This record gives sequence, C-alpha cells and structure tokens, in this order.
Amino acid sequence: MEHRHLLPDEIDQLLDGEAGFGVAPLLAHVENCPKCRADLAEARQMVSALERMPHFAPSPLFRDRVMTQVQVFEPWHVSALDTAKRWLPASRPTRFIGLAATSVFALIVSLSAVWMAVRLDAFLFFFDLAGQRVRAALFDSLGGAIASTFGSTAVDALRTGGVAAVAGVTSFLVVVVLAAVGLRALVATARRRRAT
Amino acid sequence: MAPSLDLANLPDADVVKLAQQGREAAFRELLRRYERPVFSLIFRMVRDREISEDLAQDTFIKVLNHIDRYRPEFKLSSWLFKIANNVAIDHLRKRQLDTISIDGSPHAATAAEVEATSFDLTARQESALEEMEARELGSAIERAIARLRPEYRSCIMLRHVEGRSYEEIAATLDLPLGTVKTYIHRARHELREALERVKGPG
Repeated sequence: MEHRHLLPDEIDQLLDGEAGFGVAPLLAHVENCPKCRADLAEARQMVSALERMPHFAPSPLFRDRVMTQVQVFEPWHVSALDTAKRWLPASRPTRFIGLAATSVFALIVSLSAVWMAVRLDAFLFFFDLAGQRVRAALFDSLGGAIASTFGSTAVDALRTGGVAAVAGVTSFLVVVVLAAVGLRALVATARRRRAT
Repeated sequence: MAPSLDLANLPDADVVKLAQQGREAAFRELLRRYERPVFSLIFRMVRDREISEDLAQDTFIKVLNHIDRYRPEFKLSSWLFKIANNVAIDHLRKRQLDTISIDGSPHAATAAEVEATSFDLTARQESALEEMEARELGSAIERAIARLRPEYRSCIMLRHVEGRSYEEIAATLDLPLGTVKTYIHRARHELREALERVKGPG
C-alpha cells in the first residue's frame, strides 16, 4: 500500500468487517499508522454508540389503539379449538389422568344406560316404588293442609292419581311460592321508588 | 388448565400464519415484537412523539389489515420497516423540516445526481423547542442523527440500530445496493464530523 492515510471508504470497509485480499493491506497499514489507528478507533466508537441506541417505547395504550382498527375475524372453529385447548391440563401426566377418568366415567354412564334399556321393567318398578314412597311422605306431611285447603276430594285424587298427580301438585306449590316471592320483591321495589 | 397460545417463542412466519387464520393473540404478538423498533425508527425520523405514534399506528394498521398478502420468502420486519420509512418520509416531505433537503430532480438516478440537483436548507440556530426535543432525544449521537438527511438517517439506523445487512436495507427501502452503501458512508462521515464538533478542538 502506498504511503498515505486510509480513505474514508477504506475505514468503512474495515468497520463493516469485510474480508478479502484488499483488506489485509489496510489492516497492516492501521497497525503501523497511529493516525489511521485513531481514526478507525473513533469510527468504531461511533458505530458502537449507534448500536447501543435504545428503542423508544410508544404509549401504553398504543397496542389497544391499533387493534381497534385492525379487522380480526376469528372463524368459529378456531375459537372453539382454542377454548377446548385452554381447558386441557398443562402437564402430560395430568392430561393422561384426566383422559382416563373421563373414559371411566363415560364407560359407567354407557353401561348404566345399557342396563336400564335392557332391564326397563325393573327400572320402572323401582321408579314406581320410589314414587309411592314420595307420595306417602307427602300425604303424611301435607295431607292435613291439602284437605283443609282443597277438601278431602283433592286428597283422594292425589292418593289415586299416581306420579302425575304428585308432579302436578308439586309444580303448583312451586309456582305459588315463586309468585309470593316475586310479589314481595315487586312491593319492595315499589316502596323503594316511592321513597326516592 | 393449559396456558393460552404460547406465541413468544415462535418465529415470525409462524405467528403470521396464525394471524392469517384470524387469531387476535397472533396480531398482538406481532405488535409486541415490533412496536418499539418501528416507533423508534419513525421517532428518530420525525422527532415528534405524538406524530410518531400516529405514523407507527398507520404502519401497523396497513400491515395487519393486509397480513394475507405477506409472503414468507421475505422478512416481516423488512415489510414493516419499509412501510414505516415510507410514512415517515411522506410526512417529512409534507412538513419540510429544516434539516431535510428538498428533493432533487425526479430524473436523478444515483445518489450523486440527487445531491447535485437538490439543496439543503441551512440549519438555523436551535429554537427552544428543538433544544427540548434534543434533550429528550438525549445524547450527542441522537442530536447528530437528527441532523442527517432522512434518507441517510433511515439507512444508518437500519444498519446499526436494527442490525440489517446492506442487501436487506436495499430490499427494504427499494434502493440499489450501491446507493445504500453511499448513503451509509456519507451518514457515517457526517456523524463523525458532527461528533468532532461536539468534542471541540483538541
């Protein structure tokens, strides 16, 4: 290399870490020339300062503001899959236990359904027996009240009416109770409004 | 219960695929990754925080609303920086900051021709507002960068702040490779001179 200092282009070449035949003489010159060595060091310092420059952050609401203007359309099957994945346990052993427990539960339910279908007569017998027990308990506890409210005819009808009669009476009583509660709530609201 | 989609460790291309499927979490992940670099690039070009946020917002809205056009053979970041640079340059052209050069001849094909056919507005003494901006920007290097032409500024920031190669910068800014090298070379030269002035003689 001729006896001259490095040109700015050559300093850039060294800054960019370029390799090749042309670079070796430049490096050799830098080793022997204090001025060029100082220039190169200064240039490297400047590049280092550039590389250390921080990223600025936008305001905290920036992402939300952008998302309000981005058209996101998530197909239903994608949402359903994501929701299902969220319910899966995180670890593999837990997933395995969950799957095993679900399978056992499903097997029990299936076997019960099959048994009930096969032994429907036994199932109906037990259901009727349970209904008779419930009716007897109802008559014992409410017989007096029903007789005084609706008369002895109602009590006889309940005795002979079976499950349908019991269900009808129970529904009636539930409706009466709900109506009473609802009416009480209405009255209380009306009083509050008048007070304000 | 399993955690929601873990996107932080996925490469950009995979996150973009999920965004193309309509997953909002993927859009937010892309925002999380690039809001700072994009905002920083624009802020250093425009030097106004409020306007920079608006321009950065426009950048992301353009990209995310057209995410279906993304081609995996190119980097998403290059696409983002390209749009960010364009919105910043467009804004500066409208605003004509005093350190910007008025565009040279539209027929200019090389950097030398652009310089020959344009002129610089002489930098006037810093106003109080500019001093405040400069304080916000902080160090001497930031102030020196603020005085560069926008073309030089975007090249030098993509090269040294974002760590892009010359070829990536050329592809991002749609410039010939030679022009990118010229711009970076001149930016370095101007920065060195500006920093020497700050240091003073001796």
